[in-house]
Amino acid sequence: MQYEGEHLLIGQIGHFFAILSFVSALVAGYAYFRSANARELPGADAWKKMGRIAFGIQAFSIIAIFVTLYLIIYNHYFEYKYAHQHSKRSLDMQYLLSCFWEGQEGSFMLWTFWQSMLGLVLMRRARQWESPVMAVLSLSQVFLASFLLGIYFFDVRIGTSPFVLMRNEFPDAPIFRDPNYLFKYLTDGNGLNILLQNYWMVIHPPVLFLGFASAIVPFAYVVAALWKKDHVSWVKPALPWALFNGAVLGLGIMMGAAWAYESLTFGGYWAWDPVENASMVPWMLMVAGIHTLLVYKHTGHSLKATYLFLALSYLLVLYSTFLTRTGVLGDTSVHSFTGEGESLYWHLLLMILTFILVPLLLFVRERRKVPVIHKEESMNSREFWMFVGSLLMFVSAGYIIILTSLPFINKLAGTQWAIGKDVEYVYNRVMILVAVVIGILTAITQYFKYKDTSRKYFWNHLLRPTVAALLLSAAISFFGGFDYYKYGVGFLAAIHLSLWAGVYAVVANAAYLWKVLKGNLKVAGASITHLGFGMMLVGILISSSKKELVSVNSTGISVRGLKDVKGKEEDPAENVTLIHGVPTPMGKYVVTYEGDSAVTKNDRVYFRIRFTTADSTRPRESFHIYPNAFLVKGDEGMNLSSNPGARHYLNRDIFVYITSWLNPEAQKKDTASFRNTWVKKGDTVFYSKGYVVVNDVITANRNDNKDLPVVDSAWLSDLRIVSQDGRSYMAQPAYFVKDGQPSVKWDTVHTQNLVLNLNAVDGGRIQLGVKESNAVMRYITLKAYAFPYINLLWLGTVITVAGFLISMYRRLVSRG
Amino acid sequence: MKKIHIALLVIIAVAIAGLLTLTQDITTYDSIESARKKEGKYVHLIARLDRNSPVLYDPVKDPNYLSFYAVDSLGSRAQVVYRNAKPTELEHSDRVVLKGQMKDGVFECREILLKCPSKYKDDPNEQFRKLQQTPEASSIKTS
Repeated sequence: MQYEGEHLLIGQIGHFFAILSFVSALVAGYAYFRSANARELPGADAWKKMGRIAFGIQAFSIIAIFVTLYLIIYNHYFEYKYAHQHSKRSLDMQYLLSCFWEGQEGSFMLWTFWQSMLGLVLMRRARQWESPVMAVLSLSQVFLASFLLGIYFFDVRIGTSPFVLMRNEFPDAPIFRDPNYLFKYLTDGNGLNILLQNYWMVIHPPVLFLGFASAIVPFAYVVAALWKKDHVSWVKPALPWALFNGAVLGLGIMMGAAWAYESLTFGGYWAWDPVENASMVPWMLMVAGIHTLLVYKHTGHSLKATYLFLALSYLLVLYSTFLTRTGVLGDTSVHSFTGEGESLYWHLLLMILTFILVPLLLFVRERRKVPVIHKEESMNSREFWMFVGSLLMFVSAGYIIILTSLPFINKLAGTQWAIGKDVEYVYNRVMILVAVVIGILTAITQYFKYKDTSRKYFWNHLLRPTVAALLLSAAISFFGGFDYYKYGVGFLAAIHLSLWAGVYAVVANAAYLWKVLKGNLKVAGASITHLGFGMMLVGILISSSKKELVSVNSTGISVRGLKDVKGKEEDPAENVTLIHGVPTPMGKYVVTYEGDSAVTKNDRVYFRIRFTTADSTRPRESFHIYPNAFLVKGDEGMNLSSNPGARHYLNRDIFVYITSWLNPEAQKKDTASFRNTWVKKGDTVFYSKGYVVVNDVITANRNDNKDLPVVDSAWLSDLRIVSQDGRSYMAQPAYFVKDGQPSVKWDTVHTQNLVLNLNAVDGGRIQLGVKESNAVMRYITLKAYAFPYINLLWLGTVITVAGFLISMYRRLVSRG
Repeated sequence: MKKIHIALLVIIAVAIAGLLTLTQDITTYDSIESARKKEGKYVHLIARLDRNSPVLYDPVKDPNYLSFYAVDSLGSRAQVVYRNAKPTELEHSDRVVLKGQMKDGVFECREILLKCPSKYKDDPNEQFRKLQQTPEASSIKTS
C-alpha cells in the first residue's frame, strides 16, 4: 500500500547513523585496544590514528542522530512513534527538547552524546593514557549505541530505534488500512507529560546525564592503570575528571531536587525516591574516591580503596539506570518509568556484568603489584580522617542503595518486602547521624596536615572557629524554635547536633580560607566546597525540620460532643476547601479564593488566591499567590494536574497547590454574598426558598468544658433548614477561638445552594451568615506549605559546585 | 590491628545495627484477605478501584475525607478511607498501591500510589489500545 504524506527518508538517515555509530564505536574500541596493547611505537600510533578516526565518525553519527530526531519532533512527523508518543502540536518551543528526554531512547542518546564529547576532549588531552582510556570509553559507547539499534538478531530485538514508524510498530491497528491515515487519524501526538513541562526539565536532564557520562572517565583511568600496570601517573590526569564529575553530577541532582520542589506535589525537594537515591549514590562514591585519590597522591596510602570507589561510582551509574529504566522498581517509585521489558533488562545486565568483570579481572591479575604502604596512618594526619570520612560515605551509600534495591531483591529472592510506614524516616534517622560525623570531619580535617600534625598547630587554628561555631549553632538552636517532636526527643537532639556539625563545617572552612589560606581563592577549592556543603546541610536541616503546613484545617476542628467530628489530632488534616469569595482562616493567614483564569488554549488554569495575615498586632501583609493546574482530558472526563504557586521571601518560601477543583463546565458566576443577622436560640431567619431555625446555640470554653481539646472556646450552633417543598436539613456551623485567633467552620446545604457560617459572637447571641448561591458552588481545595531558609540549600549548592570547579581548574593547571 | 581497621569495624557495626533496626519497618505486600487477618498491622495492598461503588469525596463537607472501595485480584473487596485530598487521577487509575492498615474491616489508608495508563506511555499494549480507539473518535470529529 502506498501511504500518503510520510517522510521516510529522514528516518532512514537517522537509522543509518544509529548503526554507523555502533559500528564505528566497535572499530574505535578495537583500534584503541590494539594500540594500548602494542609493544612497538609505530604500530601503536597507527592503531591510535585509526581509533581516532573511528571515534570521530562515531561522534559525528551521534550528532547526526540527534539532529534527525530533533527535526522529526520539530516538524511533527507523527508517523514516527517517538514524535507521536512524546510531542504534540500545541507544545511550546522550549519543551520540544524535553520530548527528547521523556523517552527511553532520547535519554540514552543524551548519555552517549555527552560521552562522545568527553571522548573528543580526552583525545586531545589524555596523551600517553589516550589509548587505554579511550578503549574503555569506546566499549561503553558500543553498549550505549546498541540500545539505539533496534535490529533483530535471531528473533531478539537489540535496543530500540527512535526512528520506528507507528505503522510498523502496530501493524494490526485498523487505521493503517487507510493510506491517508496520517491526515485522518494520526494528526496529533500524545504530548509531553505535564510534569515535564517545566523549565527545569529542559536543563536538568542534560546536566544530570553529563554527570552520569563523566563518571566513565575516572573509571576508565582505573582500568587503564591496572591494565598498563602503572599505578602512579594516572592520578594527575584522573583527578580533574573526578572533580568535574563531583561538580556536574552534584549540580544535576540538585537541579532535580529544585524541580521536585517547584513542580511536583511531593511536598518537598527530596523524598528518598528510588530515582533520587539512584542518582545520588554514584556521586557519594565519587566524592569518597576523590578524597582517597588525594590521600594516595600525597601519602601513597589508600590506593586499593581509590580503585574500588572510582570503579563503583560508574558501576552504580549503570546499576541505577538498570533500576529506574527496566521497571524492576515497579510500584515503589512515583517516577514511573516503565521499561522495554525483558530485552532491556538483560541488555543492561550484560553491560553491568562486562564492566564489573573488566576491572575485576585486571585487578586480580595485578593484585600483588598494587602498591600498599604497611606503615599505619597517624591519627594526627589528614589522610586518616579523610579515609574515615570516605569510608563512611561508602557505607552510607551502601545503606541507601540496598534499601532502594528492595524491589529488585524481592524479584531475585521471591520475597514480598517493602519499607513500611515511613520511608523517609528510615533513611533520615540514619543519615542524620552520618551528617553529624561528615559535618565534623568536613570542619576539622583540613586543619590536619598530611602525615603528621602538631597538636599546637591544630588547636591554635581550630580553637576559635570551634568556639564560634558552638556559639552560633547554640544561638540558632535556642532562638530557632525547633519543635520537631514527630519522632521524639532523640531525633530532635540529633537535629540540633547535626545542625551544629553543619554550622561547624561552614565556620571552620571559612576560617581556614581566611586565616590559613589568606583568602587565596585559587587554592581554596576544597574549603569552598566544604563550606558550601556545610551550608547545604544547615539549609536541609532547617527547611525540613521547620517545614510548616500552612493549610492546617481548622474548619474541621475536632470537638467531642459535636455531631460531625472530622479530622483527628494525631493526623492533621492537610487540605482546606475555599469557597469562592469566602475568607477562610488558615494558620496565621486569612485566605480567599478570589478567582481563576478562563480555561486557555493549553488547558492551563491559573487561580488567584489572596493571603492576608491574621495577626492584628503587626502591620498587615497581604499578597496573592497564583497556583495553576492543567486540565487533562482523560478517558473518563477531566483530570487535574496541579502546579504549585509560590511566594518567595529571602528567608522562606510559601507554596500552594490545588488538590481539588470543581469541573469548570459545571460552573457559573457566583455573585452572591453573605447576609448577616444577629440571632439567638429559637430565632428564625428566612431565605429565598425557605427558612432557618436556630435550634440551639452551645457555648463552651476550656475552663468549664474538658471536652475542648484543641480550641480555647467554641460557639456551636445547631440549625434546621426548612425549604418551601417541606424538606428539612440540618447544619452545624461553628465559631472557635484559639490563642485569641478566631476561626470559622462553615457548613453547607448542597441541595439548597446554601452556605452558613457564624461570623461573630456576643454572649449567647451569634451573627449568622447566610449565603445563597445562584450557581453551583465554586470552590477549590488546596494545600500550602512554608519552607524556611530553603535558600541556604540552593546557595550552598552553588558554592559547593563552584568549589569543585575551582579545585578542578587548579588541578588542571598545576604541574605537581 | 590498625586503627583504620577499628574505624572500619565500628562503621560496619553501626551500619549493621542500622539495618537490624529496620526489621520493624519492613512490611509486606498483602492481599485484602491477608490484610484482614493482620488487623492493625501496616501493609501494602495492591488493588484496583471498584468502579461499581461510589467514590465519596466532598471537599465542601470535608476536604480530608475520601472513601472508596477496592478490589484485589483474588476478588476480595474492602472499603478504603483516606484522610486527605482525593488524588486527581484516582478514577483513571487501573491499579493502586494502598499503604495503611485494616481497622474494623475498613482499610485506613495513609498513602496511595496510582498506576495510571497515562504514565504507561511506553507500554506497547496501552499504545495499541489507544490506536484502536482513534478511528471512531476522529471520525466523529470530522463528520
